[in-house]
Amino acid sequence: MEGKNSRDYTAIFFCRQIDPDENTNRRALEKQLGRAIRFFPLPCSGRIEALHFLMAVETGAEKVYLVTCPEGSCRYSQGNVRAGKRLEYARGLLREIGLSAECLEITRAPGSLPLSIDTIARGLLGLPRKVK
Amino acid sequence: MISAERKPFEEIKSSIGRYKKILIVGCGTCVAECAAGGEKEVALLATQLRIDAARRRRKIEVKEMTLDRQCVYEFIDQLTPVAEQYEVILSLGCGAGVQAVAEVLPRTHIIPALNTTTIAETREAGVWLEDCRGCGDCKLDYFADICPITRCAKGLFNGPCGGSKDGRCEADPDSPCAWQLILDRLSATGRTESIDEVYPPANWSKMQGKGPRKIIREDQRA
Amino acid sequence: MMVESRLKKILSMGLFAVTAECGPPKGADPEVIRKKGLLLKGYVDSVNVTDNQTGVVRLSSLASCVILRQEGLDPVLQMVTRDRNRIALQSDVLGASALGVRNILCLSGDHQSLGNQPDAKGVFDLDSIQFLKVVREMRDRGVILGGEELSSQPDLFIGAVENPFGDPRSYRVARLAKKVRAGAEFIQTQCVYNLARFREFMKEVTDKGLDGKVAVLAGVTPLKSARMAEYMAAKVAGMDIPEEVIGRMKGTPAGRQRAEGIKIAVETIAALKEIKGVRGIHIMAIEWEEAVPELSEKAGLLPRPEG
Repeated sequence: MEGKNSRDYTAIFFCRQIDPDENTNRRALEKQLGRAIRFFPLPCSGRIEALHFLMAVETGAEKVYLVTCPEGSCRYSQGNVRAGKRLEYARGLLREIGLSAECLEITRAPGSLPLSIDTIARGLLGLPRKVK
Repeated sequence: MISAERKPFEEIKSSIGRYKKILIVGCGTCVAECAAGGEKEVALLATQLRIDAARRRRKIEVKEMTLDRQCVYEFIDQLTPVAEQYEVILSLGCGAGVQAVAEVLPRTHIIPALNTTTIAETREAGVWLEDCRGCGDCKLDYFADICPITRCAKGLFNGPCGGSKDGRCEADPDSPCAWQLILDRLSATGRTESIDEVYPPANWSKMQGKGPRKIIREDQRA
Repeated sequence: MMVESRLKKILSMGLFAVTAECGPPKGADPEVIRKKGLLLKGYVDSVNVTDNQTGVVRLSSLASCVILRQEGLDPVLQMVTRDRNRIALQSDVLGASALGVRNILCLSGDHQSLGNQPDAKGVFDLDSIQFLKVVREMRDRGVILGGEELSSQPDLFIGAVENPFGDPRSYRVARLAKKVRAGAEFIQTQCVYNLARFREFMKEVTDKGLDGKVAVLAGVTPLKSARMAEYMAAKVAGMDIPEEVIGRMKGTPAGRQRAEGIKIAVETIAALKEIKGVRGIHIMAIEWEEAVPELSEKAGLLPRPEG
């Protein structure tokens, strides 16, 4: 697959443990933003690989978020710590090719679980809460 | 395993130069184990190259392949039918892999993407530690199975030197003093007299050879 | 020309020996060595010349020793195994003897990464103990490594170093014993500030009967400043400077610190003379060779014996 020139979407990788109902909860934003947003649920944020980040950038992600469980809440104990290290490694690979490392960002779920991925995503994108 | 690290991207990019049709070949054995040249690393490098090319508005074609071993003809031969479709092969094999592939495909430009270092163990996940420098004359049992050539910065056979401090090496305080380790293990197993005698000078010809060292086993030959 | 080792002679006469260290310049000017040598002449018995110490390129020890010999001094050639293979080492041993150098100190050498040529290949074909044995065999049996005979034997008094304060502490005396077994006839130690610990070391040396087989010269380095004391304590491997010594230096106003350093050194020498098995001292006044005459005098080591 060739690299795209335009960078036009936001990728959100997140741990499924944060929102067990994520499949339902993300639909509203997917409908509203279309191709401008892509959600990637993971069984644990620690399963993220540098390649995931790079492939997201290659397919046109302008900004990539990785949302982990709050500190100490990782079901698999160190997954969220490992996720941070892998993000740093991916940042290094992007810097090597002259890209800004800031397009990759890691963030913790802002509160005790479960949390709606919709709420989290709107917070990251600076969008108003959906009208119920 | 043979340990290696991927070269910096800039160096690889500079070696590739103007080539546009690139075959990246990884190896599934040693360099996969030390996360330098396995299938994942091939994919990462390919992605980096493609993103970089797109940014510079260059059209390139990158194919990814990973061989079980890059140092054995039967595996390398899988490249033979496809090699000529590419202008260059970027090898993520160790130094032996790169050279073996070049022997099989002498008319193809093969570029090494790794810096091969030594023979190492996986001490823990993500940490590879040099253990052996291939001296060709293994005497580990004299040194409590701690190689003085490899793990002592000065390669002393009658160590430690005066710079050993708190079990750390003068040349690299992050490294343990090999001779401290040797002495500790010999005391723990009641074998300290084994280093009372002066260990004689090594036969370095077994390590240096007269050029590349070769092993021949007639019973294994065709 | 009959040249002999003054150091060997002094020790064989049962006298307390005094040696000092001389650092060659980072340049080709022989006058620098000549001047240092003349500064020390008469105040010490023999003068060591360091061999590219800490991996820093300097005028070679062998050349410097010859210059000192020309001025009538008794040089001690320090030779490290870091920079030369066995061919060069044995060759330089013959060369040193041919040029009238009569003392050699066999060392491994500081790691090359610590100096100004960190990309250099560290040779270490032999280690210091193997080298001791090689030199001893060349001198006593007239053979090189491998057994081939020399046409004439080198004449050298053979020494090594030991660090009583290095780790592992429990092995230091055993290592000294190994060096003696390999052929060392005199030992110069790392500089002593911690007398209590040095006494323990020497007790073990004498308990093992090593004092009868090898002459131990205790190292002494006068402190130039409180900062030097702190630097050495923190950064130099195998250095043991007790807090009270550092405290003494720190408590002295800057202008008088050199004098205090000399005072401490004089006291140390007086104490060392009383320790059984200590047959002399080795003054390492790094880049402060001018302090040696004063030190020798104040420590009551003058005049040096005739001849």
